[in-house]
Amino acid sequence: MVEIFINDSAIKVKEGTTVLKAAEKAGIHIPHICFHDAFPPEGSCRMCLVEIEGHPCLELACSTQVREGMKVYTETENVRDARKGVLEFILAEHPMDCPICDKAGECTLQDYYEQYGLFESDFLEEKERKDKKVDIGKGLILDRERCVLCTRCVRFLRDITKTGELGVFERGVRSEIGIFGDQYIDNNYAGNLVELCPVGAITDKDFRFKTRNWFLKKGASVCPLCSRGCQIFIEYHPGFARFKVPKRVYRISSRVTSRDQSQKEKGYWICDIGRYGYSYMDKDRAENIILKQKNRPAERGEAEAFLGEKIKKLIYRNKLQRMGVVLNTWLTNEELFLARKIFTLDLELEKVFFTELDTGEKDDLLLTADRTPNKKGAEEIGFEINQIEKQKLFDETELLIVFWSSPFGLGSITELLPELSKVRTKILFTPFKRKWNDAFDLVIPTLVSAEKGGSFTNIDGKVQHFDAVLSPPGEARAEWEWLVSLGKEIEVDFNSYLGMKFPYDVYKKMKDKIEFFR
Amino acid sequence: MPEKILTKDFDVKHLFKIDEYMKKGGYKTLTRVLKELKPEDVMSEVKAAHLRGRGGAGFPAGVKWGFVPKDVDKPKYLCVNADEGEPGTFKDRYIMTHNPHLLLEGIVMTCFAVGIHTAYIYIRGEYENMAVRLENAISEAEAKGFIGKNILKTGFDLNVTVHRGAGAYICGEETALLESLEGKRGNPRLKPPFPAAVGLFQNPTVINNVETLSNVPCIMEKGADWFVKQGLSEDGGTRLFGVSGKVKKPGVYELPVGTSLKELVYTYAGGIKSGKKLKAVIPGGMSSPILKPDEIDISMDCASLMKADSMLGSGAVIVLDEDVPIIDVLRKVTQFYSHESCGQCTPCRIGNSWINKIVKRIYRGEGKKEDLDKIEKLASNILGRTLCPLGDAAAMPILSIVKKFRKELESFIKG
Repeated sequence: MVEIFINDSAIKVKEGTTVLKAAEKAGIHIPHICFHDAFPPEGSCRMCLVEIEGHPCLELACSTQVREGMKVYTETENVRDARKGVLEFILAEHPMDCPICDKAGECTLQDYYEQYGLFESDFLEEKERKDKKVDIGKGLILDRERCVLCTRCVRFLRDITKTGELGVFERGVRSEIGIFGDQYIDNNYAGNLVELCPVGAITDKDFRFKTRNWFLKKGASVCPLCSRGCQIFIEYHPGFARFKVPKRVYRISSRVTSRDQSQKEKGYWICDIGRYGYSYMDKDRAENIILKQKNRPAERGEAEAFLGEKIKKLIYRNKLQRMGVVLNTWLTNEELFLARKIFTLDLELEKVFFTELDTGEKDDLLLTADRTPNKKGAEEIGFEINQIEKQKLFDETELLIVFWSSPFGLGSITELLPELSKVRTKILFTPFKRKWNDAFDLVIPTLVSAEKGGSFTNIDGKVQHFDAVLSPPGEARAEWEWLVSLGKEIEVDFNSYLGMKFPYDVYKKMKDKIEFFR
Repeated sequence: MPEKILTKDFDVKHLFKIDEYMKKGGYKTLTRVLKELKPEDVMSEVKAAHLRGRGGAGFPAGVKWGFVPKDVDKPKYLCVNADEGEPGTFKDRYIMTHNPHLLLEGIVMTCFAVGIHTAYIYIRGEYENMAVRLENAISEAEAKGFIGKNILKTGFDLNVTVHRGAGAYICGEETALLESLEGKRGNPRLKPPFPAAVGLFQNPTVINNVETLSNVPCIMEKGADWFVKQGLSEDGGTRLFGVSGKVKKPGVYELPVGTSLKELVYTYAGGIKSGKKLKAVIPGGMSSPILKPDEIDISMDCASLMKADSMLGSGAVIVLDEDVPIIDVLRKVTQFYSHESCGQCTPCRIGNSWINKIVKRIYRGEGKKEDLDKIEKLASNILGRTLCPLGDAAAMPILSIVKKFRKELESFIKG
């Protein structure tokens, strides 16, 4: 540890820390544009210049390492002047089209101008004219006039994805970012460039001109689209009083999970599958409880009674072997724990299966082959992830409960359809309105992970908790709530389900019962 | 005429051929150095000679070599900076044209001193003839066993390669040169680490100018004491001053370090052409701050010029007479740096272009009275705040021109 002084207040930091990081630790923000935690310092924006006692010139905070007794000043006349100078330079050639720029409101340059600039421009010359909408692949649009040449995008593609699709072309004030010939950006992490760009130079068609980012609210969640479970923000529109917005979720952004340098290749990014695959949250959602025999939306109480009655009948007739359950690995730890408690422990069912895993090709960075969020959790809870054995599942079965949560694919459920008519009572828990819902006697609308609390266990065995970000659509309720009521309804071990008002109440039980979750 | 070191045999016909060079005693010292001396001896001799870098920054060569870590497993490299791009400079081409073997002999000695087995000569793309001449000279030297494997049977290996640049001024900056040599875009690197520790292909690297290395053979031949005595000031040896502009006899003059600038212009270069009056002198390549006639009675060494707020740079003396409108000079200077800025860091990229735009507007007769203040403000926002020395190289001459010729520039704005 070395002791240094930032604006005369002492702070102890590790040897080898940069001045910028040391100041951050002391709660002092040193403005920077090209520097990003995930990369080594580049030193090209010149925004982070600070004064260091004994040095003739201003020094870069992003690359200068601390020395015992170093005295750093971040707010002197000279430093403020230098910052202003850099801002003046950048803004001189900046198109100032903030009113139509998607980045406005979350733009580093805009923020810094407010904090460190606030001068009148005396740039009387003509600005450089450059291309304003260059397609660089993967739906990304490059605006070269807005670009401040921080080269974060170039470095990301060079160092992180190692695909190197972007480069700097030309020289001096004519310098511009571009792709090489017709080799468009083509990797599963391209969407990160939009977030990485400190200004509005790279935008994506998915978000471009759809809304203004200051209307959006951010909620922390965990990406359910593969077993990595990247931490994300769900950015949603809470709506206007007199104007209906077409959807809730406008984009997904990454939530930095790791300040640990050794993790820098992973902790800052999310893949494009997770970033752009959010439309399921708003599309074709099941909102009403459908009880087929009544031919109208049913009340929650009715549904609970119907379900409980069907199971209890089997219990009384001692025919539980005629009941089958299909679960899936999209359910949270809490839900799977409850499902195991009810179906395997309380009812001692033999026919407990899982829907086919959604799979895809894995890559070397984050994306895993298992495209469901909680297989590891299901295993730790004690399930064997048995795929459906049709013969066994439909043999003499009178009651079938299916939990279908995957927003993708038809998978095993289409295989079930021809057989379904053989079963007397079929119940479906699903967040989605799908063709096959009609084949069930009771359809219970449930939630996607963005709408509920709980936890997933990712491929590395990390348990990640999350809260609800979006409010449930219509009558839809989380699977865990239904499972708690069901547990009480069947009256096998009533007391165990008492006091489970929040997902964490369930989790506390899990911790008691299962070593892994402690 | 004072004694010449580098150019003493330049009037010999075909000196660039190895036979002529050896007739004049060439490679004799190398033989002695390799066979009788230890690497440390060479390094300490060069250190004692106060041989300052001739490329522009004037850093003592021996000290620079000393920064290279001694006991590392990594290969070490020598990069010879022959990317003579500073406007007004044409001295290295003079050496490479007339006496490439002198440079090669210096290269071998340097590599021996630092323990280097691979040397690259990074030569500017426009110097095609010189590149060919160097390549021929390397083949000749290889044939005679002065370069290659087991040089003069001493067990010392050295491979020398000529690499041609593609015409960017920035590639004369040492770290941009390394990037270019590695096959990348010629952008300067962030320092530290310095090339002596992390240079070419991430390995320890020495980068020296052509003229600097060409001085090494005679230091080793005649000794550091003798070499120091050749200079009129603290620094050792002579320098090649390339005088251009409105003088009667423009050309390269080899004179002791510390010769007076006035003497150089009036005695050696023959004074101003057609009886005109002197207006200004740029003493060390375009990036050095301009000197007015009353400032040229100055000794041409690093320290004296620094005291006069200018610099010796590459020793390229550009002489302007009274007929040259200063706005022309300013326009050329700003145009050059605006065009040659690599564009990596903000102040240099936009600052130089902005200043150039203002100057062009003044030139068109649309100047405004606050323009000169703005130029000064912008230049001082570049000075000392850029990633590499190009920013300073641009800001210094601009500041000095605006300061020293403000009246004339103002008259141009009014008129």
